[in-house]
Amino acid sequence: MPSIKENTELTPGKTYWRSLDQLADTPEFREMVQREFPEGASELNNPVSRRKFLSIMGASMALAGLTSCRRPVEKIIPHVIKPEDVTPGVPKYYASTMPFGNESFGVVVENHDGRPTKIEGNEKHALSAGRSNTWMQAEMLNMYDPDRVQIPRKSGTISNWQAFESAWKQQYDKYLETEGEGLAILSEPFSSPSLRRLKDEFQKTFPRARWVSYAPVSDENITRAVEAATGTTGTIEYAFDKADVVLALDADFLLMETGSIKYSRDFMARRRVSSEKDSMNRLYVAEAAMSITGGMADHRMRLRAGDIGPFAAALANELESQGLDVNIGSAVAPWKDHSFDRKWLQAVAADLIKHKGRSIVLAGRSQPSNVHVLVAAINEALRNRDRTVIYRNNPDSSLSSVDDLKDLTDDMDAGEITGLIILGNNPVYQAPSDLNFEQVLSQVAFTAHLGSHADETAQAVQWLLPQSHFLESWGDVSGNGSRGIVQPLIAPLFNSRSALEMAALIVHGKASSGHDLVRETWAGILPETGFEKAWRKTLHDGVHTNSDEELLKLRYPESIQTYLENNRIFANSGVHEIIFKASASTYDGRYANNGWMQELPDSITKLTWDNAALMSRETAAGLGVKNQDLIELSLDNRNVRLPVWIQPGMADGSIALEIGYGRKHAGRIANGTGVDVNPVRQRDGMDFSTRISVRKLSGSYALACVQDHHGADEELLAQHAIQDRLPELVREATLAEYREHPEFAMGLAEEESLENMWQDVELEGKHQWGMSIDLNACTGCSSCTIACQSENNIPVIGKEEVMNGREMHWLRMDRYYSGDVDDPEVVVQPVGCQHCEMAPCEQVCPVAATTHSEEGLNQMAYNRCVGTRYCANNCPYKVRRFNYFNFTKDLPEIVQMAQNPDVTVRFRGVMEKCTYCVQRIEVGRITAKNEGRELADGDVVSACQQACPTDAIVFGDLKDPESRVSRVKEQNRDYAMLGELNLRPRTSYLAKLRNPNPALEQHT
Amino acid sequence: MGGEERLITGGLDFGSLTDKVSGIVEQPTPKQWYLLFGLAISLALVMVGSIGWLFWEGTGTWGLNNPVGWGWAIVNFVFWVGIGHAGTLISAILFLLRQKWRTSINRFAEAMTIFAVICALIFPGIHVGRVWIIYYMFPIPNQMEIWPNFRSPLLWDFFAVGTYFTVSTLFWFVGMIPDLATLRDRATGLRQKILGFFAMGWRAGNRHWQNYEMAYLMLAGLATPLVLSVHSVVSTDFATSLVPGWHTTIFPPYFVAGAVFSGFGMVLTLALIARKIYKLDHIITVNHLEKMNKIILVTGSMVGYAYIMEFFIAWYSGNLYESFAFINRAFGPYSWAYWIMFTCNVITPQIFWSRRARRSIPVMFVASIFVNIGMWFERFVITVTSLSRDFLPSAWDYYMPTIWDILTFVGSFGLFFTLFLLFLRFLPMIAMSEVKGVMPEADPHHYPETTGGEK
Repeated sequence: MPSIKENTELTPGKTYWRSLDQLADTPEFREMVQREFPEGASELNNPVSRRKFLSIMGASMALAGLTSCRRPVEKIIPHVIKPEDVTPGVPKYYASTMPFGNESFGVVVENHDGRPTKIEGNEKHALSAGRSNTWMQAEMLNMYDPDRVQIPRKSGTISNWQAFESAWKQQYDKYLETEGEGLAILSEPFSSPSLRRLKDEFQKTFPRARWVSYAPVSDENITRAVEAATGTTGTIEYAFDKADVVLALDADFLLMETGSIKYSRDFMARRRVSSEKDSMNRLYVAEAAMSITGGMADHRMRLRAGDIGPFAAALANELESQGLDVNIGSAVAPWKDHSFDRKWLQAVAADLIKHKGRSIVLAGRSQPSNVHVLVAAINEALRNRDRTVIYRNNPDSSLSSVDDLKDLTDDMDAGEITGLIILGNNPVYQAPSDLNFEQVLSQVAFTAHLGSHADETAQAVQWLLPQSHFLESWGDVSGNGSRGIVQPLIAPLFNSRSALEMAALIVHGKASSGHDLVRETWAGILPETGFEKAWRKTLHDGVHTNSDEELLKLRYPESIQTYLENNRIFANSGVHEIIFKASASTYDGRYANNGWMQELPDSITKLTWDNAALMSRETAAGLGVKNQDLIELSLDNRNVRLPVWIQPGMADGSIALEIGYGRKHAGRIANGTGVDVNPVRQRDGMDFSTRISVRKLSGSYALACVQDHHGADEELLAQHAIQDRLPELVREATLAEYREHPEFAMGLAEEESLENMWQDVELEGKHQWGMSIDLNACTGCSSCTIACQSENNIPVIGKEEVMNGREMHWLRMDRYYSGDVDDPEVVVQPVGCQHCEMAPCEQVCPVAATTHSEEGLNQMAYNRCVGTRYCANNCPYKVRRFNYFNFTKDLPEIVQMAQNPDVTVRFRGVMEKCTYCVQRIEVGRITAKNEGRELADGDVVSACQQACPTDAIVFGDLKDPESRVSRVKEQNRDYAMLGELNLRPRTSYLAKLRNPNPALEQHT
Repeated sequence: MGGEERLITGGLDFGSLTDKVSGIVEQPTPKQWYLLFGLAISLALVMVGSIGWLFWEGTGTWGLNNPVGWGWAIVNFVFWVGIGHAGTLISAILFLLRQKWRTSINRFAEAMTIFAVICALIFPGIHVGRVWIIYYMFPIPNQMEIWPNFRSPLLWDFFAVGTYFTVSTLFWFVGMIPDLATLRDRATGLRQKILGFFAMGWRAGNRHWQNYEMAYLMLAGLATPLVLSVHSVVSTDFATSLVPGWHTTIFPPYFVAGAVFSGFGMVLTLALIARKIYKLDHIITVNHLEKMNKIILVTGSMVGYAYIMEFFIAWYSGNLYESFAFINRAFGPYSWAYWIMFTCNVITPQIFWSRRARRSIPVMFVASIFVNIGMWFERFVITVTSLSRDFLPSAWDYYMPTIWDILTFVGSFGLFFTLFLLFLRFLPMIAMSEVKGVMPEADPHHYPETTGGEK
């Protein structure tokens, strides 16, 4: 470390990469570059000093500094004449596409002087449609991850791509002779024309080799079911905007299932009301673990995951008995006799039949294929196919298959595999534990792993090759009737290559550029004449219509009958059913080293930085455990120990585990955070299993929960208080009640105008900013929280500080339960600064650091703030966030590159809070002025509003009576939270509605 | 004097009183003093160290969190300011009310006040996030013409406590001038010179006495409203906010009563120790102590009344948040603190209905310490409990102090005792000239009744 320091001090100012390389060419320097982390990084293993990672990041600053400047050193001549389209400080926006398994999201990336800083959805893309989810937002931080692999390594020592290329060339020639005997590629599943082309070429070049795709979270059950039902592999798409009744069977289609961004938007299109005259769709949910879809439900039934199939069978019978010809023969007949709530079933069946062709029955990806086939038959009988349910094939895709992986590992075990190339995935961590992947991997002679991190797999392979982030690489995607191009926003930060380039190297035996590969593929897609123009248009738009996908027809009823006869639906037995689900934060582990995602409270549990065994109160009582007690799960001599979290709404007997935690080699944030539950995840129970035994351990483990700090253990006093004030804070009614009392949301403040003690101050600004949040449309997906974090440079503070109650999110997602303790209804409420006109914070600040703008913004002058925290105390919404430590000082330079240059990074001892994205207001104002026009409605979009998949957040000028926000606030559901305090908040809420089935009204 | 017992007992006359009181500062420093001083200054250094760490690392070293932005620092501030009430009350208000018994205790009660206010002022100074720009809070003219926010009670606080400190110090010093002169006259060399400087040329002439009495009377008149205003203003930090449990009009009188209560508790604790060590039981007699106990009983009952009234009003208001704030105090996660407070502050003083208890040294010593524990917890309950659960349940959190909170608080006692021990060592701890004025010798009835007892 000192050597670098000394050497860098030779030249004034900052010195980067290549010149520094020459400067600091000392043995110590070389050793340091070789080390993954600087000395002291091992302290991170201590879980209690999570905050320490910040200071350790400081230690690795010098290292990060070596690689973080992406301006080529050779071309540092400043512009004498400014290029026409480059203005320093003015960001540019580029379209690209983010691959996500077989899914893809169109993105528009904000680029500041060649440095991507913010990801938004692409309006033109079918799935994202201008909106985003948390993972899209978080990709920004994934790219600027200082723990990414930076240099190719051979058996742990530094190497380079040329060395790998020549090593591969030898293997390549050998495999050419044997037609690829013993060669295998293991990739992530993908839907990409170029990768698919290479896969086909690979099969041609090496007919005896194999290409296996595997992901720990995939739609494999669904694609298999589609294959069984239609004869072609494909996917299912739903048109929620055309559905009046939806029955979701263990399907969290608003957050975790494929297509959730689009589905959230479409679902809300049928649910949003603007007056009591509008209608609403109705959502029934049967699920084991409480999801945000379950929270949104009009009727929710707690059902073990293993009972979902029987429930669907019982439903089929019920539909038959109500006169619908489901036509699946005897396969489901045994389930005429069942113990499900018959009234519920009858009501759902009647509702579905009543809305034939305008309903959707869907099952989640964790349900086995036979359930999906049965559901397909039900949808067919309900005449939903091609109306609300669409089966579509995608010739560009390569789908995940556990069976293929099993065959591969069997052959590896048998020594039949001599060369294995792993493209991007991390099988040592992710593969089912009974495949013993790590062990069989050691029997393969030639192994290479293209990965973004020196992960668990990287420890066990010969060649570790750095993988480019999608923002650094060329590629393409397809799906949902369109194809899109992945175009790089920045040159690779490290010496990395994309999966596409790596695949090309493997297939062709020589390296080629991603750009050429994609263009080559697209030469076959785009018309020959005018290719260049079409290519550039596709780059600009980010998407292109895909004409190769086709809609599939069901082989109904015969094939389905046969299939269901052969794949009967059984209930699983066993006291405890263990459910594996992807984490809403880390997903399958790929966001485990992402501070934003680790610190994002789960929408329902509100846990951060950990996974836990979620179970109902009754299950916990049966095990004799309470919150944060440790339990042990065992299967075939593999054990997992993790803490218990009692989750209202869980089906009794079900224990839900999130995968994606407990990484051993993923980086400073991920390592040792949470518990890896993969050891008890086997091939026969990838989604749920009753074979796993559970026992209580002594001891407990502290979890960082940002709300109800004692979880379900909160004492009665608090529970009652919450129930008392909930109707005031989150106003809610059924659609019928709303129609009867359209003004139900009116509170004290709205009914009579409250007197002001002081003379009202006239705000004379030309615009008066305000926000409206539709609680009826908000699902609680938390996309806004991460978008806000990305836009506003909100620091990550670590588990310990979250436990100390110092979380920094400017926009938090409040979640409340109401009704039955074990089977509650859920409401969510995003809360940021309400920008009160009579702001209590402004009045008490002794130094006038927080003041009101003429446009109605409650402003913070960070430079003026001395940090008395009086303002936060006096804020009834508790939205002010205090920098108890210097949370940003030690950010590695590479992470600093992800910061928004338009927003001040706050210092220790300063209060901060939502600004209504004042920087965006100013950009809007400047743009309008430059264009010589007035600022129009829609010119200023706050980050949360832009991200929100359901359009629940509307921001704009209240002075303009025609603006969207003004019109929305005119609705009779509009109310101000704590309006009776007479603070006149500029953010108001639209009351939540539910649309219960009158036949079940007594039921809930 | 009527039927009252003599204020000074033990056959002390003017001369022996002077010898006794002056002797304390004139005799060689006792070993015990060094021991205690060493202990106190070590504790004070603990505070200095804790503050150093706080400045280095940030406010996060304390147990504060998002709903609870004010914790022990503000609790300690209010606690110490409260203690700082007794001295000026005894000196000024009781002076104006012609309570002659005050003379035996007023000097060190005033000293205690000043030291307590010094301890108090440290906390608002260090609790801010960016201490290096704390001068933004002062109305200093600057080129940007940015002034502090005069609507903020924190600023009122700054003025109120600052004024109180200035006037109290002045009052203390003016009252000490005749005694300093006495010491000067008994001293030699450099010591005489220094004492002489501070005695400001006091010669005990008639004109001196006349001016002195007038100045003292005026300062007493000036200090009297301050005694009432300072804690009233401190209470507005809470009362003007909208936090349920803070936002209440009863706070100003309730805070003042509580402050007097705790101040007398602390005076009693210190008086009992000093009386024992320096054998002052003829000057600070059981009669004096009993009178203080009566004040403790009265103010303690006022505080108890306020507690109960708060509850009643919370219920009577029909306000959801307000009533919960108080139920939560008594039965929520901080109920332990509430019941410590209630027991110490409301139940303990009731023992003083009994004359025997009022005159029993062990009973009053224990009770005085209970009072101070209770009053610290009162501030804790008000500050922390209210903040930890206010309007939105989603934001609720539990506050726990860290070791740094504790060390800073414990260290502030070190500072307090360091200053107090220095005072005992170098300044007359009993107002000799005033005590002499209430001794029978000062009123020998040589003169016809029309001239009264004066001179």
